[in-house]
Amino acid sequence: MDYQLSPQEVTMQQDLAAFCRAQIAPRAKMLDQSSRDDACTYIKENLKLLANAGWLEAGYAGDSLDLTTHYIVGEEIAKACPATFLSARSSTFLCAGALMLFGTPEQKRHYVPAILKAEKVGAFAYSEEQAGSDMAAIAAVARRDGDAWVISGMKNFVVNAPIADVLLVLAYNDKDAGTERGMSIFIMEKGAEGLKVAAPIETMGLRGAPIASVSLDNCVAAGILGGVPGKGYEQVDRILTMGAVGITALCVGIGTACMEVSTNHAKTRIAFGRRIGMYQDVGFKLADMFTNNDLGRMLGLRAAWALNTSEHGAKELAACAKLFASEAVTKIANWGMQILAGHGYLVGSDMERLYRDAKFGEICEGTSEMQRALISKTELDRFVQA
Amino acid sequence: MEFNLTQEQKMFRDSVFRYGKDEIAPLCEEADLKGEFSFEIWSKLARFGILGLPFPEELGGAGADIVTCCLAGEALGHAGVDGGSLLAWGAHTYLCAHNIFAFGTEDQKKKYVPKLAQGEWIGCMGLTEPGAGSDAASIRTTATRKGDRYILNGSKTFITNAPVSDVFVVFANVDRAKKHEGITAFIIEKGTPGLSTSKPFHKMGCKCSATSEVFLEDCEVPAENVLAGEGKGWIIALSGVEWDRCTLLSPMLGAALYNLDLCARYANERHQFDRPIRSFQAIQHRIADMKVFAEASRLAIYRVASAKDRGQMLNPLQAAVSKVYAGDRGFEMASDAVQIFGGYGFMHEYPVERNFRDSKLAAIGGGTSDIMRMIVSRIMMM
Repeated sequence: MDYQLSPQEVTMQQDLAAFCRAQIAPRAKMLDQSSRDDACTYIKENLKLLANAGWLEAGYAGDSLDLTTHYIVGEEIAKACPATFLSARSSTFLCAGALMLFGTPEQKRHYVPAILKAEKVGAFAYSEEQAGSDMAAIAAVARRDGDAWVISGMKNFVVNAPIADVLLVLAYNDKDAGTERGMSIFIMEKGAEGLKVAAPIETMGLRGAPIASVSLDNCVAAGILGGVPGKGYEQVDRILTMGAVGITALCVGIGTACMEVSTNHAKTRIAFGRRIGMYQDVGFKLADMFTNNDLGRMLGLRAAWALNTSEHGAKELAACAKLFASEAVTKIANWGMQILAGHGYLVGSDMERLYRDAKFGEICEGTSEMQRALISKTELDRFVQA
Repeated sequence: MEFNLTQEQKMFRDSVFRYGKDEIAPLCEEADLKGEFSFEIWSKLARFGILGLPFPEELGGAGADIVTCCLAGEALGHAGVDGGSLLAWGAHTYLCAHNIFAFGTEDQKKKYVPKLAQGEWIGCMGLTEPGAGSDAASIRTTATRKGDRYILNGSKTFITNAPVSDVFVVFANVDRAKKHEGITAFIIEKGTPGLSTSKPFHKMGCKCSATSEVFLEDCEVPAENVLAGEGKGWIIALSGVEWDRCTLLSPMLGAALYNLDLCARYANERHQFDRPIRSFQAIQHRIADMKVFAEASRLAIYRVASAKDRGQMLNPLQAAVSKVYAGDRGFEMASDAVQIFGGYGFMHEYPVERNFRDSKLAAIGGGTSDIMRMIVSRIMMM
């Protein structure tokens, strides 16, 4: 038992918090409000800032990925600028992380250090028009052409696509082999013939992270993740299971930011002669924000520990963390907006931005509905009569 | 941040679970229906060493750490032991016996702790009064020094175990002008003239713990029965909070795990519209939420326990989170369990009904959910 951050973890957290306060947080509003093209420029600058200070590689050591560090770092960056964390995570975790965990030695050497130094930006493309939670429904296909793999298909909602140098793309290489054996992740490089990234799309929140669809028309892959086909389903499943830790960090980071904005307002705003936080209707909302955010953090760190140690039930814990924290943060943002009232409703206010950012967690990488389906199946199956 | 149990802790938890399931849980339905303290359940708890868990072996205990105490509470709740019997245990071991152990003189410890640890004597703690609940510092019970004795006058209410207790730790004020600085704890033995209890209350839940008023009418207590000295009572009362936020909540976590098992099994077995009700998403949704609740509540409770084992001061925010979440969300989850069982869930024969009634206490006893929110919000506003 421990249940507390180690002194080293606390120091790391404080250093990063100071860095983010100075370098990242002041740019959050600009990222949110700029044009889509400008956002692409600004976010690359943010990734560089983080990389130059060494924060993009925190948690990556040799061949292993420490999810506890990933969580702690993620929450701090997300607190300063949620969109920056989303973009950074798509590059370093979903793309470089997958390469590190599943790639051949050559693939790792070639891509991972460059992405962690922000010399290259990574992206991870699996969703399609007709395939989100239902991954088996993807239509993208890969066919062999001599030694090469040639990919065709259309990917949706690809975070970082407009700025990506390396994209991991999920496609069927052998549909007859079925979902679990017939899919692979292909490594695509920017500039490949037939690879087209659409214009960045407008999103409700997390606007600093550029998102676009990607089309592949007989596009030659630079490689197949891990060198052997047929492992795509398992790889995506593993990276997204671990990905729940990062999404939890994103949600808790946003929750913390909401709480800071709301608490500051509740401390300084006077109504009927008292600071409004001293009224129970406001103060108790602050308390509920704290409770929910605190538990979300504990679940995130718990899931990180379970995954780091390959604990039985880790996948379910990761789902619990993501489900809890993502639903917590939409409530937290709602309470925050209520506390700030008109001041939070103004475009350009931090609360307004955070309110929009908060929704993402419930719908990304396995909606809340999918998390509940996974958790309940795990629980119910414990009592299936053999 | 780490989250591991030792092999020994895991084995202990599993053995308590098996014992609770085989030996105690079968007695609980009937005991709850009777709504009386069950001496049979009590002696079974004693026999397994549960009542003396945190005390050193030389005082008749097991020398367990706080995490292990919580594991026992969780395991017994999970095994289906009713909330009332586990509340009786909590009040006895942590609020009565442990206060004597932590704050008593060597003589007091030797006299009371072994018998309490073995379950030979039953203990209670009397703080709450008709006019002093959440605002505990405003108690009106007085203690007046007269030679080598104190004369106590006043009344206490909602005192768990009082009707069956042999040993009472009672709080009174030696000087009401000093407010909480005058609060003093006394050990009073059953049979002391001037000490009496009312008939047990009929409670909504946790029925196997006997709860009553305690009356002190010119009750003479020897000065040697003062616990920790005059004016030290408030510190003792506050120390109870540390136990309340972990060990006393752990049976509530256990009950939630028990409910989850019951519901998951029932959802597989129960068929409607030619299919098991587990195939309905509304059922699945509730099951998933119950699991999330159990995991989050577990983290909050063991975080408090783990810090206490390290000897850290109670973190009031972490303590409040543990309590308010187990209390409020726990009740909602217990309600969902009844809903999954439908009409059967409304019947006493199904333990989800009892768990529903028992679970409400966590949002009330030992500091209400409202008080928890007040504590958190005041700290945030600092």
